[in-house]
Amino acid sequence: MRYLVLLFLPFTAIFLQSTLFSFYTINGALPDIVLVTVACYAILNGARKGAAYGFLCGLLEDLYLGRFIGINALAKGLTAYIIGSLQGNVFRENILVGVLGVVIATLINSGFLFVLNLLNMELFHFDTIIFHALLYQNIYNVLIAVPVYVWFYHSSRHGILGLTGER
Amino acid sequence: MFRIFKNKCFWLFFAIFIFSLIMINFTSSAREDITIVEKLIRDLYTPLQSGVSEFRDNCAALPVLFSDKKLLSTQIGELKKEIEQLSLENQVLREYEAEAKRLKELVEFKDATLESYDLLAASVIARSPNNWNKTLVINRGSKNGVEKDMAVISPDGLVGRVGSVSKNSAHISLISDRELAVGAVLQESRETGGIVEGIGNSGLLRMINIPYYSSIKKGDRVVTSGLSLTYPSGIDIGFVEEILKEPNGLLLSATVKPAVDFNKLEEVLVITGYRPQLENDKAEE
Repeated sequence: MRYLVLLFLPFTAIFLQSTLFSFYTINGALPDIVLVTVACYAILNGARKGAAYGFLCGLLEDLYLGRFIGINALAKGLTAYIIGSLQGNVFRENILVGVLGVVIATLINSGFLFVLNLLNMELFHFDTIIFHALLYQNIYNVLIAVPVYVWFYHSSRHGILGLTGER
Repeated sequence: MFRIFKNKCFWLFFAIFIFSLIMINFTSSAREDITIVEKLIRDLYTPLQSGVSEFRDNCAALPVLFSDKKLLSTQIGELKKEIEQLSLENQVLREYEAEAKRLKELVEFKDATLESYDLLAASVIARSPNNWNKTLVINRGSKNGVEKDMAVISPDGLVGRVGSVSKNSAHISLISDRELAVGAVLQESRETGGIVEGIGNSGLLRMINIPYYSSIKKGDRVVTSGLSLTYPSGIDIGFVEEILKEPNGLLLSATVKPAVDFNKLEEVLVITGYRPQLENDKAEE
């Protein structure tokens, strides 16, 4: 059941991003709900599990997008690994940890995507508006991170996701 | 230091990393077709996305029920007047069209106008789920005859190109996407050689390869040149907003505002086929 829920989360996130949220952007920027989910999971479950989950979620996103398969998988996997490494040093009970984790994850993920896109010459005509989009995406992600982290934390402790940290 | 090389996790991580890089390299948008897994995932999403799209359309129609009747009757009156005016304009344009056809026949000039193309109407059911790509998803796929690289237009102008197709849906790469480039010409001066490409997040386009002696000016209308096989000629791309000098001094570039508002796009037309002008005339007869 736990795995079904974990599979359902990125599937729903992509669906919401491509439909509902694509019509309600903040200054043209979309949230990255998949990343928010991955970051919350990584904070609560550690680096290795986080990286595996991040990679699989990114892969699902790549398969849906249908180009450069592996780009989001790598970026989200690596981001989750870094965020998950903080697990032993933070108070997971504090919601601020979740919010800050998502902010850092958004920055790291964008950095990885930027480098991987550059390797593919995808961003040959790069413009600074990407940074503006990143700023607004961060705001959007933080807004979504609050309920998502609270749900993740409670589900991991007492609910369907049953915490199995690697502390 | 070398202890890390004995770690199984490190090698697993390394293998996944290399495998991913290879996959990225072999799955660019230039590949012929997407895999079965990708098609399956998309077809799983399509009915859900269509449902949301229909729900939104129904919700958009709700305010009409509560609208002021007086306001609506005024709007209907205005629209009727506009229809009358457009019908008159249409008559004049039909005359011009017939004249143009006669003149073309005289000089035996054959070109591909929009009339020579088969159009398939489609609804936009979803958009790109991230900020890096500019794509749309439409509710028509290979089942309806949509194929990769077909041009997509709207009544306002050029929208983009079919990027990939599954059975029930197709992903459209917008012209504002970094991957697309379209041969363009200035409608009035007919200066050719320009290429319009997407910049990305700004939603604006850039026209490059404009010679320094070009008479291009702000507000000029940019249309497709028809030099490529994908896009018919004469479709609106946008309007020149700003002209810049390239560092080499020999060329100019221009910022182009797209004719189509991609955020409000709900219906598009896919160019599914091409009928040569002669066939077209026979069909009309």
